[in-house]
Amino acid sequence: MSTTAIILIVVLVLGGFIVLTYNRLIALIEAIRNNQKQIDIQLDRRFKVFESLINVVKKYMDYEQTTLKDVVALRNQAQTAKANGDEATRIAAENKISQIASNLNLVFEQYPQLKANENCLQLQEEIVNTENKLAYAKQSYNDSIETYNANKKSFFTSMIVGMFRSKLDFDFPYWQLTDTQVAEHESYTVKL
Amino acid sequence: MPFTTDWRQTIRTNNRKTFMVMAMFFLIYVGIGLLVDIYMNAENYPTAPLSQIFFALITFKLFPLVTLIMVAVAGISLWVTFTFHNRLMLLGTEYHEITPENAATLQEKQLYNVVEELKIAAGLQFMPKVYLIDADYMNAFASGYSEKSAMVAITRGLINKLNRSELQAVMAHEMSHIRRMDIKLTLMASVLANLILIVLDLFFYQIIFSRRNNNNARGIATIIILLRYLLPIINILLLLYLSRTREYMADAGCVELLRDNQALASALLKINNDHLSNHDQYSAQYQQTPHENVRREAYIFDPSQAGITPSGSLSDLFSTHPNLKDRLKALGFQYNDKT
Repeated sequence: MSTTAIILIVVLVLGGFIVLTYNRLIALIEAIRNNQKQIDIQLDRRFKVFESLINVVKKYMDYEQTTLKDVVALRNQAQTAKANGDEATRIAAENKISQIASNLNLVFEQYPQLKANENCLQLQEEIVNTENKLAYAKQSYNDSIETYNANKKSFFTSMIVGMFRSKLDFDFPYWQLTDTQVAEHESYTVKL
Repeated sequence: MPFTTDWRQTIRTNNRKTFMVMAMFFLIYVGIGLLVDIYMNAENYPTAPLSQIFFALITFKLFPLVTLIMVAVAGISLWVTFTFHNRLMLLGTEYHEITPENAATLQEKQLYNVVEELKIAAGLQFMPKVYLIDADYMNAFASGYSEKSAMVAITRGLINKLNRSELQAVMAHEMSHIRRMDIKLTLMASVLANLILIVLDLFFYQIIFSRRNNNNARGIATIIILLRYLLPIINILLLLYLSRTREYMADAGCVELLRDNQALASALLKINNDHLSNHDQYSAQYQQTPHENVRREAYIFDPSQAGITPSGSLSDLFSTHPNLKDRLKALGFQYNDKT
């Protein structure tokens, strides 16, 4: 009687242990899958954000850059005209500058945030934000793989994994660069 | 290692402790109610022994009026805590919520971005609410009773004076509090401990300013004034549940998320030095902010370390914040006190 009771208890404890371990591993596997999807989401986001951002800012910066070039050219024109005593050309050039300036002011009034500097800062922040999100998504993914692998390979748990290989044993690759990429990035220096 | 970095283990511990805090809170209230009931009935039945009155009360042979009122008060307190936890934790400050839509400046946008990044790093399911407190002193805290209801609050002084990576470090520290569910325990302990004080304060000032002279009012006034000074003892009982290592753990969690100990160390140093160099100004600001006690245990930096104590806090001796030197040491830095 007592031996059957003992056997029963042992079987129950073992069964409980197996069920708990099984459930824990399933939770870890699903966490990895979720984190993997998170990387895809962030990659997709980066593509979209950067595309629209660069388009927007390029348009504005182009506008300001060409305006700047125009202004510099007109200024030179005005100054040479002044040196030559050619007032009419000078006035025409100056007038054009004022016109550009008032146009520019109009644009600025429509878009108060439209300053090359501000745009750069915003672009910078958006890029840092996007890259950080991507990096953290990868980090989170790798961490969840680490936890899973450490659990899977540890003693006792590995025996249970052996019993349910198709359900519990997956080989998730860590997110990493290829060897050639690593070598490439390692030898990279900033060229000024 | 003096503590475990397994945050799942911490969640279990914190859940257990939160339950204990709530149970303790109930017990204290019921206890006070029963005492008052026994006292009142002892006057009505002077011959009966106290134990008999006690049994009569708990078997409802005598109606335990005050006890039931106290149970109701405790229940309402819990309900208020769950429903208005954000506003309770921000009580007394000037604040506004930051969302991607209403972020007015690049700075505010950056704050939101940083929180969003760390939400991904910490693997949280929900984006915490982000509040900006309009104050010059540098501080931040996290609160909530679940991942879904979590919030982080940060003062304007902090985002003005920290650079992006330091801001990230502070936010990672707060995210670790959320991930470990320290926020739940801190919220329960500090709000439950302070809630009744907040309500009492309302009466307290009313009594001071309206000097009514009938006997009845004076009796009630005496009770309220007594409670006003006795109840902070409950604070201490509840706050004892807060672990002394939770700040270290959140610091460790921050390093785990950022893989960098430099940023947090430099942020902590900046916050500390800023508090020291603006001591008088901040001291006045902290004291002018009502209900500063509610936030005290949740702050990343306890202002009392810079010699600033919010007014009317009895629990100074029970501060659960480790000092800066020890925190920096745990982060792997040596604090040189020769400046």
